[in-house]
Amino acid sequence: MIRITELHKYYSDFHLFKGLSIDVERGEVLVLIGPSGSGKSTFLRCINGLEIFQKGSILVDGGEIHGLAKERLSAFERDSIRKVRLKVGMVFQHFNLFPHKTALQNIIEAPVHVLGLDKKEAEERAMSLLKKVKLEGMKDMYPENLSGGEKQRVAIARALAMKPEAMLFDEPTSSLDPETVGEVLTIMKDLAGEGMTMVVATHEMKFAEDVADRAAVFDKGEIIETGIPEEIFKNPSKERTRAFLSRVLDR
Amino acid sequence: MKRKRYYNFKLDCFGASPLAMTPLRTVSLRAPSLVSLRAKRSNLVSSLRAGSCEAIPLLKFLYLNIALFIFLITLILFSNPQSAIAQDTLEKIKSSGEIVWGSDAEGGAPYIFPDPENPSRLIGFEVDLMDAIARELGIKQRQFQNSWDSLIPTLERGDIDIAINGIEITPARKEKVAFSNPYYIYTEQLVVRAKEERVKEASDLKGKKVGTLSGSAAQGILEGIGSVDIKIYSGQVEPYKDLSIGRLDAVLLDLPIAAYYAKPNPLLKFTGAPIGEGYYGIAMRKGDDRLKEEINKILERLFKSGEIKNIYEKWGLWNSSQERLISGFGIRDSGFKEPQFLPSESLRVLSFLPFLLKGALMTIIISVLSMILAVFLGLILVILRLYGSRILSILSTAYIEIYRGTPLLIQLYILYYGLPNIGITLNAFTAAVIGLGMNYAAYEAEIYRAGIEAIPKGQMEAALSLGMRRSLALQRIILPQAVKIAIPPVTNDFIALFKDSSLVSVIAMVELTKSYSILAVSSMKFFELGLITALLYFGMSYPLSLFARRLERRLKRGLS
Ligand SMILES: Nc1ncnc2c1ncn2[C@@H]1O[C@H](COP(=O)(O)OP(=O)(O)O)[C@@H](O)[C@H]1O
Ligand SMILES: [Mg+2]
Repeated sequence: MIRITELHKYYSDFHLFKGLSIDVERGEVLVLIGPSGSGKSTFLRCINGLEIFQKGSILVDGGEIHGLAKERLSAFERDSIRKVRLKVGMVFQHFNLFPHKTALQNIIEAPVHVLGLDKKEAEERAMSLLKKVKLEGMKDMYPENLSGGEKQRVAIARALAMKPEAMLFDEPTSSLDPETVGEVLTIMKDLAGEGMTMVVATHEMKFAEDVADRAAVFDKGEIIETGIPEEIFKNPSKERTRAFLSRVLDR
Repeated sequence: MKRKRYYNFKLDCFGASPLAMTPLRTVSLRAPSLVSLRAKRSNLVSSLRAGSCEAIPLLKFLYLNIALFIFLITLILFSNPQSAIAQDTLEKIKSSGEIVWGSDAEGGAPYIFPDPENPSRLIGFEVDLMDAIARELGIKQRQFQNSWDSLIPTLERGDIDIAINGIEITPARKEKVAFSNPYYIYTEQLVVRAKEERVKEASDLKGKKVGTLSGSAAQGILEGIGSVDIKIYSGQVEPYKDLSIGRLDAVLLDLPIAAYYAKPNPLLKFTGAPIGEGYYGIAMRKGDDRLKEEINKILERLFKSGEIKNIYEKWGLWNSSQERLISGFGIRDSGFKEPQFLPSESLRVLSFLPFLLKGALMTIIISVLSMILAVFLGLILVILRLYGSRILSILSTAYIEIYRGTPLLIQLYILYYGLPNIGITLNAFTAAVIGLGMNYAAYEAEIYRAGIEAIPKGQMEAALSLGMRRSLALQRIILPQAVKIAIPPVTNDFIALFKDSSLVSVIAMVELTKSYSILAVSSMKFFELGLITALLYFGMSYPLSLFARRLERRLKRGLS
């Protein structure tokens, strides 16, 4: 459902991705692991068109982004990126909730103004999502009054309100207090259980083992190995994977 | 004659009319205060962004200000300007060998102005007259430059010994200073376009647009005619310029000005007989009786010897009226009738209030309209700059930098006096609103930009990732947050604009500052009227500044 072919990405002179390719099946949960700075966030941001890349292509369920070398995109290019974004939702490490809107308003914003749903319908959809993330009592709270875990759950509900076919998570629990990490992971696990296609950059190895179908190990802009998480953790085929795992699992 | 200057740059870009050949009109700019004002504003923006705007202990600050204010007032009230000048001026100049005379060379020809061939040298009929007087006194003369409005206060302060600069002898002025016998009898000359048929004399001016200088005798005469649409100017060049391009139907000004500026212009002509009559005198401090006596004797000698006639003829100023000065009419002290055009009894200061309030209303109207323009144009500019196509972004950036990098005064001049050269003739009110609005738009755009850039990048990314177009994300997500940040500095800008609006007096708008200077110059009540005017400005800007502070506080709470 997501097919990345020969992706090349430069940050000015720095050649980060030198021809990355990977496919994600419909309903698959893929976790991206690897040391920080290895390119996981950039990879996710390329899929969502938040980052330009120089060569290669990204196909999402028919929608397609090609290598784009320029800063200012044409209207056609912007439109094709937007089509991809409408198919994949994104959850950020720092939530990026809209601070001037309540939890409910955050969620209905795009359904009303992008999909053109009427407000009532959007609110019904939002309320059922808030229930799903166990926050129905918080609908009128502003983000500044929510805890980190609550914010991230609202952010997940906000992305789901667009009825995406896949979800991208960029270290969704990395800026949370330890006691609220679990509530976010539970929601994500439920989501995986419903068959949602998910690509998750994370340092939560337990989550990877329990929930993910496959793990891709990133190092210095390369995917050095892929496989079933459990097997990779037990028996990594690459020395670099072993070094990374021993650092993370020791903690 | 009345000339008023705020700014200090030379302007000779009025195209190729004969008027442009005349000596440069010069005006004097309060650049330092403008600069510091801008600096303060940008500090405000940055401190806001840093969220570090410390709450000033408000009451303490207020008390400090009030104390300082009272201190200054006391200082002014109790310092007697006369006490500085203990000596008799005649003795002083004889012993120092030099007489210092005040005048305003920026005012223009033919009184005193920079020689077009050698601008560092001052020439004019009053320079010639002063040369002769100094020679007769057996001492040297030195010109002291100050704006025309300030000559009499300068004389009272003791910086100069006498003031000669087309100063009309009026009852109000005579309360403040002593005058020599008249040295020139001036009349007011009506000037119209060469093809004008309707206006032949002063009585034809009803319902017409007539230009004159602020505080001049001519202004008094025009007011006396009634239902004349009077346009007040600060310099002599502009009324004739506006007359030739049709913004005015006629100009009424002192004959010497008309003779020098309008007569050589083939587009214009004199019409009707000279109107009104008044006298230029040499102003001296009250109590300088010996100096006055001495100067009157010298004037008498110079008239009798024909030297003054020669000077006036050289400058094209001689006419039959002046004969009366020789025949002894002017030589006998106070043998002439008082001019009737200015308030003959000293009016109570409060009676000026309606006029000042009218000016204040104009200030409010201009400020509000130009601020509205600035707020919206600024928004367009910042959106083009940050999100427009490359060309639009460059154009918008250029606009912002050019408008911030050039004086507002020049912008107003170009808009009002420059554009007619390419066929765009705005009226003064429109030019004032557009000029101020376009200038402030550049500053507002920068404030918005600071606000927009203070919004974390993640906001735009989150909006885009939800499938919003950039324009929708801007409108729904970014701008509402940026506006919150921008409101306090924009309000502060509005306060600054209130004060900057006084600049539009250079394009013939009579707002509060202009109203003040008109009244102060004709009544000589600089101090009292100054206080009232300052209070009016304060009364307009203080509520705004309280409002800005409240918003700032609320915003700080909202952001924490
Ligand atoms: N905006 C940027 N400009 C320049 N270099 C960047 C930028 N963003 C990321 N990088 C670099 O790209 C590499 C990958 O970063 P990132 O995708 O954030 O890795 P990860 O998410 O795995 O920690 C890092 O070396 C980082 O320094
Ligand atoms: Mg990252």
